[in-house]
Amino acid sequence: MPPAMPLPTVAGIGLRPPHVAQVRRDRPPLGWLEVHSENYFVDGGPALAALEAIRTDYPISLHGVGLSLGSADALDTGHLAQLKRLAARIEPAFISEHLCWGRIDGRHLNDLLPLPFTDEALAVCCDRIDAAQAALGRVLLVENVSAYLRFTSDAMAEWEFVAAVTKRTGCKLLFDVNNVYVNAINHGFDPRVYLAAIPGEAVAEIHLAGFDASGPCLIDTHGTRVAPPVWALYRATIDRFGAKPTLIEWDTDLPALDVLQDEAAIAQSILEEADAVAA
Amino acid sequence: MPSLREVQRGFVAATVFGDPGALAGLGIVAGALDPAARIAIYRNNVLGNYRKALAATYPVVRRLVGSTFFDAAIDAFVRAHPSRRGDVNRYGRELPRFLAAYPPARELPYLPDVARLEWAIDQASIAADAPPFDTSALRAVPADAQGELRFVLHPSAQFVASPYPIFHIWQVNQPGHTGDDRVDLGEGGDALLVRRASDGVVIERLATGEQAFLAALAGNRSLNEATERASGIDPSFELAGALKRHVAAGSLVAFRAPSNASSGISQ
Repeated sequence: MPPAMPLPTVAGIGLRPPHVAQVRRDRPPLGWLEVHSENYFVDGGPALAALEAIRTDYPISLHGVGLSLGSADALDTGHLAQLKRLAARIEPAFISEHLCWGRIDGRHLNDLLPLPFTDEALAVCCDRIDAAQAALGRVLLVENVSAYLRFTSDAMAEWEFVAAVTKRTGCKLLFDVNNVYVNAINHGFDPRVYLAAIPGEAVAEIHLAGFDASGPCLIDTHGTRVAPPVWALYRATIDRFGAKPTLIEWDTDLPALDVLQDEAAIAQSILEEADAVAA
Repeated sequence: MPSLREVQRGFVAATVFGDPGALAGLGIVAGALDPAARIAIYRNNVLGNYRKALAATYPVVRRLVGSTFFDAAIDAFVRAHPSRRGDVNRYGRELPRFLAAYPPARELPYLPDVARLEWAIDQASIAADAPPFDTSALRAVPADAQGELRFVLHPSAQFVASPYPIFHIWQVNQPGHTGDDRVDLGEGGDALLVRRASDGVVIERLATGEQAFLAALAGNRSLNEATERASGIDPSFELAGALKRHVAAGSLVAFRAPSNASSGISQ
């Protein structure tokens, strides 16, 4: 099914419940909007009605957090059915999920948990992504996640794992620049090595967010402005992959909408510089 | 090398259950931080997410017991009642039952019923929508045939009853409440209807006859049967007034004939 509105190659923002009324009322100039799919796994009510109104004004991307593509459990078919039903209602430009796990033996942990980068985990992720793409009847975007630990059983680097997933399944990549930076600091690698390993044609969308640096390792809180080194890595990302739809994500300590718009404007100016160079 | 399933089971044991033995089996790279500190980040994230999600669903319960008590209760709840959905917003249905059997909450016998009220409010906000009642279709049914009609409640409608004054407790614990916040537990119980109206979720007290009437309709009883039940419990129950009021308010959204022939509701 074609989306109601495709994503333009501009900056957008993650739309969170406290901003919905304002966006609906004022229709501010925002390139596109991304929402968490699960927030709309409902039968009816005002939240779903608001999204159905907003989708007529903005391109929408559905970003899931609960499908658990890397679980040893089979895919949760109920979850997938709800996602499919929501997609039929919203006709999003993209549907994305995370390259992680969050469920085992039927227990969901409702978090984005790290995978061992083993051949077994790679096979599991590819199988689940294949199944999800078949069920949804469309290409899925998968996002690289931030992690606070690594397993001694790792048989490959994260970037090799991510590249292999896109190659084997044909899925697209939601490349989260902040997560690459957080992992580079937490696990001690050069983020440019990561960038170089990613097939550019697979990258369909980019995420930017802020992290917390107050503890012994960087925590991906989505609770502050994008950090200067992440903006630098974003420029390098756009240099390598070309301009891509870019999202500002903010989830904890959510500020006023205009702060998100300020951040999106910075991303937009970097995208336009890249377009000017390309032209 | 542990299988993926073993790693993921060990991760649950080490985070949700704080099992130090499981931590050793996970094979976590130490580096600048030791494995226990790394797992602690996930433990705090996972349990913290649930505390936050359930605080949003059960704000009055949290206010009644305080944040320290609430957080400890939620951690115990998470261990006893795993989340079965990838959507954390819908987690916590079993919390009222859990609290009823939770020894530290024994001195607050009204707490599980307040929790049931909050769960009902949460569910009402996401229930299906319904088109408004077609009153002209009802008027078209001959008066002598109306008694056999079945009435449909709004999909969001739920009944919550308690021997405690839970509505009053809920009201004085709302963020905007001012004035006297004392509640006399002896002031009597509540029979409540929770439902979503056009401007949000509403809670209303039902008289005993009215509650029996609506519950009978919800149980697919005819108008005559529901009226009999209500009058049997409450001789002052008055059908015409109750029906008119609940149709106007939107608690009743449709009716249908006893056979398959439908009227006033699109199938």
